[in-house]
Amino acid sequence: MERTVRGRGVAASWYGIARTATIDRAGAWAELDDGGTAKVVTGVTEIGEGILTLLAQVAAEELGIRPEQVTLGDNDTARSPEAAHAGATRQTYMVGNSIALACREAREKLFAEIAEYWDVEATLLHAFDGILHAEGTNKSMTMAEAVAICKGRGVVPVGSGSFTAHGTGLDPVDGSGAPWQVYVFGTQVAEVEVDTVTGEVQVLGIWAAHDVGRAINPRGIEGQIEGAIVQGLGQALMEDYQTVEGHTTTHGFAKYILPTALDVPEITSFLVEDRDPLSPLGAKGIGEPALVPTAPAIMNAIYDAIGVRITSLPATPEKILQGLKEKRRRNEGIAAE
Amino acid sequence: MPELELNFEVNGRTVAKRINPGLRLLDVLRDDLNMTGTKEGCGAGECGTCSVFVDGKLVKSCLMPAAKAEGTRIETVEGLARPGDLTVIQRAFYKTGASQCGYCIPGMVMAATSALRDNPDAGHEEIKERMGGNICRCTGYTKIIEAVELARDVIAGRMSPAALEADAVGESYIGNSVRRIDAPAKVAGRLKYAGDMIMPDMLHMAVLRSPHPHAEIVSMDTSAARAMPGVECVITSEDVPGVDGFGVFVHDQPIMARGKVRYVGEAVAAVAATDERSARRALAGIKVTYRELPGLFDAADALAPGAPVLHDYAPDNIVKHIPLRKGNIEAGFAAADLILEENFSTQQVEHAYLEPEAGIAYVDHDDVVTVISPSQNITHHRHMLAAIIDRPIQKVRFIMSPVGGGFGGKEDMIYQGMLALAAMQTHKPVRIVFTREESIVSTAKRHPSRSKVRMGLTRAGRITAMEFDMLSDGGAYGMSSEGVMRKAAILSCGPYEIDNLKVDTTVVYTNNTPSGAFRSFGGMQVQFATESMVDMAAEKLGLDPFEIRRRNMMKPGSLTHTQQKLGTASLGMVLDAAEKGSRWEAGAPTVRGATRGDTHGAGTREPCKLGERFAAGPETKERVA
Repeated sequence: MERTVRGRGVAASWYGIARTATIDRAGAWAELDDGGTAKVVTGVTEIGEGILTLLAQVAAEELGIRPEQVTLGDNDTARSPEAAHAGATRQTYMVGNSIALACREAREKLFAEIAEYWDVEATLLHAFDGILHAEGTNKSMTMAEAVAICKGRGVVPVGSGSFTAHGTGLDPVDGSGAPWQVYVFGTQVAEVEVDTVTGEVQVLGIWAAHDVGRAINPRGIEGQIEGAIVQGLGQALMEDYQTVEGHTTTHGFAKYILPTALDVPEITSFLVEDRDPLSPLGAKGIGEPALVPTAPAIMNAIYDAIGVRITSLPATPEKILQGLKEKRRRNEGIAAE
Repeated sequence: MPELELNFEVNGRTVAKRINPGLRLLDVLRDDLNMTGTKEGCGAGECGTCSVFVDGKLVKSCLMPAAKAEGTRIETVEGLARPGDLTVIQRAFYKTGASQCGYCIPGMVMAATSALRDNPDAGHEEIKERMGGNICRCTGYTKIIEAVELARDVIAGRMSPAALEADAVGESYIGNSVRRIDAPAKVAGRLKYAGDMIMPDMLHMAVLRSPHPHAEIVSMDTSAARAMPGVECVITSEDVPGVDGFGVFVHDQPIMARGKVRYVGEAVAAVAATDERSARRALAGIKVTYRELPGLFDAADALAPGAPVLHDYAPDNIVKHIPLRKGNIEAGFAAADLILEENFSTQQVEHAYLEPEAGIAYVDHDDVVTVISPSQNITHHRHMLAAIIDRPIQKVRFIMSPVGGGFGGKEDMIYQGMLALAAMQTHKPVRIVFTREESIVSTAKRHPSRSKVRMGLTRAGRITAMEFDMLSDGGAYGMSSEGVMRKAAILSCGPYEIDNLKVDTTVVYTNNTPSGAFRSFGGMQVQFATESMVDMAAEKLGLDPFEIRRRNMMKPGSLTHTQQKLGTASLGMVLDAAEKGSRWEAGAPTVRGATRGDTHGAGTREPCKLGERFAAGPETKERVA
């Protein structure tokens, strides 16, 4: 056997979007503001996933302006509508859709006024990137002008939205129920190299295919997938919070080992778009599901390389070497028969 | 307090400051100069968030005594570009989406600047190595490395500065990789996280934590601490005016230990003082007498007859058990040609967000108790805190500050209640900032798990039955355990349509560090087991791993493990994309790694051979051989 051996493994996964086995809800307020800008208020703050950017994109698209013209209000229980918690892969789905609905209502108020002003059907109006026009006509104006005209007619173009995801509880005896209205699926392939002398495993490549419904910000989604994979890799190979009689022995980053830039595989993401038919945006979510298949894909790849099945995470060098030793012993046993 | 006069240059300005000689350079920058772009992530030189230049050399400012900065020239992230402007490196981070939560990013920008100043032609491997001393928990580093390479090429003139601008937008902003709107503030160190915020008359909180995993609190005397200089209040569970208890599903945790401690690191009392040092010093003035109790340190032991009971309401120590039953499990296994059985386990995992817990509470002019913190669930926290402090719900206000990484770890209300109580007692703003050690010992982790899995299959690779039994250690308090078990049960048997199954997920109380919400919420523990087993079955049956998955996959119209009929299901699409995209060579998983033809190709990096750089000497080579 060569000292280093490569192997490949695959794992599939599935996941539910938004809160589990319960109804989920989120609310938002929107206002088309002076200068063709917008204020959007909802109970959400960035936890790093890129939600603020995504919401600005959604609001801009729905209102016909640019993302940088959208001001998002702070998440504050006394100043903004409830959008509940930042977790459960629910932000894009729950908050994104509630903002889309709020913005549509604000836009419709504006369009009704401009349609009367232009004397055209409101259904002909279309706004994008700061310009409003009536299809089939030469009528056009900036969104800044449109807001001024709307306000001049005595109407502030505001809207609100509430989005619901209909999950149901589980039966206490057989667990039957419909915990989510939308599911996502993923598949990852891992290529590893195992050093049979040191037991070290390096993950050299991951190919990650995930259904996101609709990719609102592709680069942001890649960032979520890459981050999830490296967390999954950490759990697969090195991270291990340990206690002895309830006392931690891993109380700092010198003892609790995390992946660094040197541990990262090359990651190739494939964004699959199977649109959600039950929501205005058609998007689903990616934050949590991208982590799920990483560890089993790596374990399957380790098996492919050296024939050692790791059933207990993390796959430390000690476990790899122990597995190789047992495998040799098994093979010798078979040879002796 | 003895004082030291420190004279140095910071971002081109001469600074003269009288400081406490015990301070670190990081403290002087953050607390004395209010330059909070430089972050504290670990205080031990391990994470790199506090990186600054000292006389042009990259230094972790948490390891440098401030006194040593005398006469030096310091550069921080705030000084890299003029106010309102960004350097090429910062703009490259903005362009590639290199910042997510942003907390590690000032340090990353400093490390990148150092790498390219030292070697403007640094290659991919050198850049990775130069960034290797900085931890990021969000991005997976990929877009950070991409940013440094982009900046390198723009600085060298190999790429046009236009590469740093926004992508052109076509007919829609949906599907456009709009640059992150929060990135400029993050790459410049301008964004204020809770621990960066200051308010006039602000007090500092320190927390006394349990040294025992399980003990009765026989007595507690806080009088000496109360009398210490600078101390404005000492709070314990006796100060809670309402119904004391929080948790995501069951409200079993008091905001400070009440009569009993159940894990090492549990909050027992808290001090608010005029400065952090006085607050920490006063902890020694709190006298607690404990009577140690037998502890539970293993999930299986918690279920044994006669085991110590942690919570009176749960005499069996079970936090939650979720059963799923579908079809006829005996008939399913009877129909199988192959039955596999295996045990799997997963470890407890720390979230390791770079921003340790922090927050500020105050009582406003309308008597509204207000808490600013990186809470992932202010809606629920407001509900719980209103009951705990016995105030009408509109008199409790939660503001979510920018979260420096959460991953589920900031869903629990573990310190906001103490802040609120101290603010109510003093009518002054009170701030807490956890140390890294405090964050690690006192906050929830990913549930460790032990699963026993049986799978029955036909010769053709169809799964006929599956039995899944998982036991998890929830630690001392319920937190998100119930929900984690539910999600684990629902997802347990993977994305496959299986007619007969029996699933049980159980989580128990122990005296270990609590387990809680963590990205995937039980989903990874169970699918690690199932996906491993599917490959084991594929080997036995001589089937390609993609093929066996296709033969079992859920499709539109399939019934899930909870008997929900799926309207849509995209597993076939993602299997195709991964198989094609990875140029997968078909074949059964029979340890064919050494002979397969699809490895070593595009989409893989070079193996890291750190040792080789040092392998010049003969003795090193011998050791390697």
